[in-house]
Amino acid sequence: MLAAIIATIVTVVVLIIALVVVFTIRNRTKSPKASSKRMDVRAINTVGVGARSRGRGHADARVNAPQTSATNLGETLRPRFIAMGVLAAGIFGSLAVKAWSLQSNSETYRKEADENQYTTVSTPAPRGYIYDADGIELVRNRKSLTVLADVEVADDRTVVQRLSAVLGIPHNVVRYRIQDATTGAQSQRVVASDVDLRNIAFISEHLSAFPGVTTQERSVREYPWGALAAHALGYASTADDKDLETPIDGAELEMGDVVGKSGVEAGYERLLAGTHGQRVLVAAADGTVQRVVSETDPEKGNDIYLTIKAPVQYKIDQMLADLVAPTDATIGTGKGDSASAVVMDVRDGSIVAMASYPTFSPEVFVGGIGDDMWSLYTKDSEFQPLLNRVIAGNYAAASTFKAFTGLAGLAYGFADTGRSWDCTGSWDGFNTGAPQKCWLRTGHGPISFREGIVQSCDTVFYEIGKNFFQAGASQGGTISDTAMQEYVEKYGFGKTTGIDIPSEAAGRVPTPQWKAEHFADYPEAQQWMGGDLTNMVIGQGDVLVTPLQMAVAYGAIATGNLMRPHLFKEARNSSGEVVVSFEPEVTGVPDVPPENLEIMRDALHGVATENESIAKLFGEHGIDAAAKTGTAEYSDGKNESAWFVCYAPFDDPKYVVACQVNHGGGGSEVAAPLGVEIMAAVLAADAGELDPTVGVVAASSGKYIPLPLKSDGSGRTD
Amino acid sequence: MPQLPQIQSVKAPDRAVVDATKPRRFKYFNLPFLIVLALLVSYGLVIVYTAVYNDADYSFSRQLACVAIGAVVMIVIGRFDYRNLSDFTTVLLVVSVALILSPHIPGLGTDAGMGAQSWIKVGIQVQPGEFAKITVILLAASVVSRYGGRLDDVREYLKALGIMLVPFLCIMTQPDLGTGLVYLFITAVALVVGGARPKFLLITLVAGIAAIAAVFAIDQVLYDATGEYKLLKQYQRNRLLVFLEHDSVNLSDEGWNLKQAQVAIGSGGLFGKGLFNATQATLGFLPEAPTDFIFCVLAEQLGFFGVMALLALYAALVLICFRIAGASSDLFGTIIVMCTVGMWLFQILENIGMTLGLMPITGIPLPFVSYGSTGMVMNFMLLGLIGSVWAHNGR
Repeated sequence: MLAAIIATIVTVVVLIIALVVVFTIRNRTKSPKASSKRMDVRAINTVGVGARSRGRGHADARVNAPQTSATNLGETLRPRFIAMGVLAAGIFGSLAVKAWSLQSNSETYRKEADENQYTTVSTPAPRGYIYDADGIELVRNRKSLTVLADVEVADDRTVVQRLSAVLGIPHNVVRYRIQDATTGAQSQRVVASDVDLRNIAFISEHLSAFPGVTTQERSVREYPWGALAAHALGYASTADDKDLETPIDGAELEMGDVVGKSGVEAGYERLLAGTHGQRVLVAAADGTVQRVVSETDPEKGNDIYLTIKAPVQYKIDQMLADLVAPTDATIGTGKGDSASAVVMDVRDGSIVAMASYPTFSPEVFVGGIGDDMWSLYTKDSEFQPLLNRVIAGNYAAASTFKAFTGLAGLAYGFADTGRSWDCTGSWDGFNTGAPQKCWLRTGHGPISFREGIVQSCDTVFYEIGKNFFQAGASQGGTISDTAMQEYVEKYGFGKTTGIDIPSEAAGRVPTPQWKAEHFADYPEAQQWMGGDLTNMVIGQGDVLVTPLQMAVAYGAIATGNLMRPHLFKEARNSSGEVVVSFEPEVTGVPDVPPENLEIMRDALHGVATENESIAKLFGEHGIDAAAKTGTAEYSDGKNESAWFVCYAPFDDPKYVVACQVNHGGGGSEVAAPLGVEIMAAVLAADAGELDPTVGVVAASSGKYIPLPLKSDGSGRTD
Repeated sequence: MPQLPQIQSVKAPDRAVVDATKPRRFKYFNLPFLIVLALLVSYGLVIVYTAVYNDADYSFSRQLACVAIGAVVMIVIGRFDYRNLSDFTTVLLVVSVALILSPHIPGLGTDAGMGAQSWIKVGIQVQPGEFAKITVILLAASVVSRYGGRLDDVREYLKALGIMLVPFLCIMTQPDLGTGLVYLFITAVALVVGGARPKFLLITLVAGIAAIAAVFAIDQVLYDATGEYKLLKQYQRNRLLVFLEHDSVNLSDEGWNLKQAQVAIGSGGLFGKGLFNATQATLGFLPEAPTDFIFCVLAEQLGFFGVMALLALYAALVLICFRIAGASSDLFGTIIVMCTVGMWLFQILENIGMTLGLMPITGIPLPFVSYGSTGMVMNFMLLGLIGSVWAHNGR
């Protein structure tokens, strides 16, 4: 409104000025005093012009005729001057009005001008360090001078060749790295990390010769122990488009930030990521920075202390490597194609060590992993080094499952300490004509429940499974068809344990409903059979568990409580104060009669003390433990997979160890020695007797040779 | 050698004739004219300085030198009797055409990377099309003044119009539409002041609009036939489109330029950000800040009141020129002054108007303010002519 008023006033003023001018001119031309002389002069001139024109024959007299009187000319010119005056007034008026309309409400334009000139750049914050339980650095930061380039630079031959010459990298490699899209389509690509200061200085000083190229000092992750605990720690890399689009709640993620992608790095991203610093810059339209207006320093993230004990972890990492790929780091030269092991404190769920082989080097993700490394780390044929088998490896549980199906049998009265079974090595309880076999083909003969656990006799459990099946409602019985499953699930199978790092697998406890859904397209296979239960009762068939689930479940046998496993011990801020520390969390107390639990503990104790091969292993280290082996069989001719789970000390359980060697052979031959060694190391560390050395762990080399198929027909040996 | 008779006494010439033919030495220049001019040029120099002091592409001392050269040229031309020029219609026409077409001479012309063949290189780079504005004004004045202020014969009107359209047609070969429009405007002013019948002017205007429409129509036909616009270049289309729909988001360069220009002007507010505090101009958001968009630099730094001061100076200059035109001793002088004023008015309207979004974007300099040597010297030459008209008006 005000604007309109003022605009009107301005217009009026301009028009008045114009009118004044017009009238002034008019008066002058009219004024006799002013025009008397001019009249004569003009007359002379016009005559002259007329004469000359006539002489050249250009204009004729007719044209010149009305011009003889100067007063006439002045009179004729007047309206033309008025027209020009009005035109001028119109021009100045409209310009003034329009300028007023733009400049009277300058707020929005001022804001836009500020947006133009000020650029807020956030400076990346260093991530927090990660330590083991005793303060050994597992992940730290270092400065890296990095050369980055826009994607388009790949098409610029001269720039690529200049980069190649300066950095001493072949130009096709430079181009390849710029084209590499693993860090996301939008982000700048890393051409070289850890570049010499000299070369960085050269590029920075000649930026006009390197359009699209920038240099940065980045704080990058450093892993002093190589692949040590790689799966637990996880890796961090430059945020890709997906991270930027869907950041974790409350996280302020900027292009070029490093984010945790797996393991603790991802699970505790919010604690590890620091607070961005901010620099407000005045930048020209072409992006050149003129000056820094204000600056706040970035704040480093919190340091995280894990429950992992680095010396124990180091030993286990090495054991797995030595077991699976002892020769030339080549998978296939040892036992199995992969292995995993986890050690948990049964009292509070702390993970003391977590190892999975083949493993990877988190270092290669610094500044963006190359396509070739990425495919090496994720392709099936290289046994997926990135897969954390402890939490995400779904395996057939085999005989380690018997502890839980056994408890179910005891609870439902299908087994008791007074009962005896007769094992002939072959069992056909459902009269199908296709008997199921005990691992000991010659049979165990008459056998009790306890011995059935100690010797891992399958026949005992086939009977228990058959009893469950026949007592099921669908068979006219009195209990639920899924009574055994429900009992087993009390120990956490079929669902995640809730460990504090992402990507955990839930495993599977098969039910009639699951089977119907799973085989939806194969109606003939949907029927829940007795064989499904007798398979499940010995941990075969469709049962899938993770080593971590097994550790947590055996921990619950040892203590009575299901603990939530965790790697996090505490977080400390930059001044060293503990800001968060973990609280032990009991996720469940399986509702199992104490006397049954005692029976089972005693039987598992029997495995460790009476089963010859196992007892010998524990005896060497003087460990009083409870244990169970498992050997998973495969129908496709692949080698068996070995399991071993144990907890110790038996009287006062502290630790549970679960390990699995995939396609590595029998549980007692392959997994048991590994598991016992691990337990020995853990207990030694507890007593302060373990060699505290921590060394660098090598990542998977990617080399492998084909695994032999099942070596002989003897089957399981547990 | 025969002896001539001794002359004893000479009758004193008519005083009026003496006054008319002998310039007065001390009232050579109109004083208000000089004062306004000095203020305007100084104002322009200050603004140009703030726009270029930090930019290696432009040289302020060169601009200063141009003003100095211009001042000398103005005085020299002012001493010269403009009336001597009125007979040289043919010469003026030839000179105009030669100047305008000179950039087409191989080895001499250059497009200076701007897309139009508008510059020649003779040691320094000059735009002959700018200088041709003077000859075009003189040509128009010399053609129209013949008719003594009344041009009501159709054939004569068409003849005059035909002669004056020649420079426009020549400049369109560069092509430089902006300067071409200036020529047309000069022509129009000459015809109006020269007394062409309003009917003729109206018909000419309608014909002109029809011609523009025809150009677009034919271009569209050519586009349909060949797949590309032949007559109008894409940037010309863009500029027109941006002008016509500048409220809508337009990501073309032209749209961005207009947007940044308006941000610059608008952010200046009433009082401006202060000299040397322009951000839009000095940080490179304004394209061509010291030349075509110099008005934005002024508006950003000095705000609405700075803009009004500039417009007031222009208005004062225009008023004084009207007076000089009115006081001219002949129609030739009147038309010269009025055409010059008309040219300035058109340049002011176009240059400021385009930054405000009132006019389509065209590269026309702001008189006495925009950075650029050719335009500055040319304007001073015209000032010299006006001075000459004033000096020889016989008062």
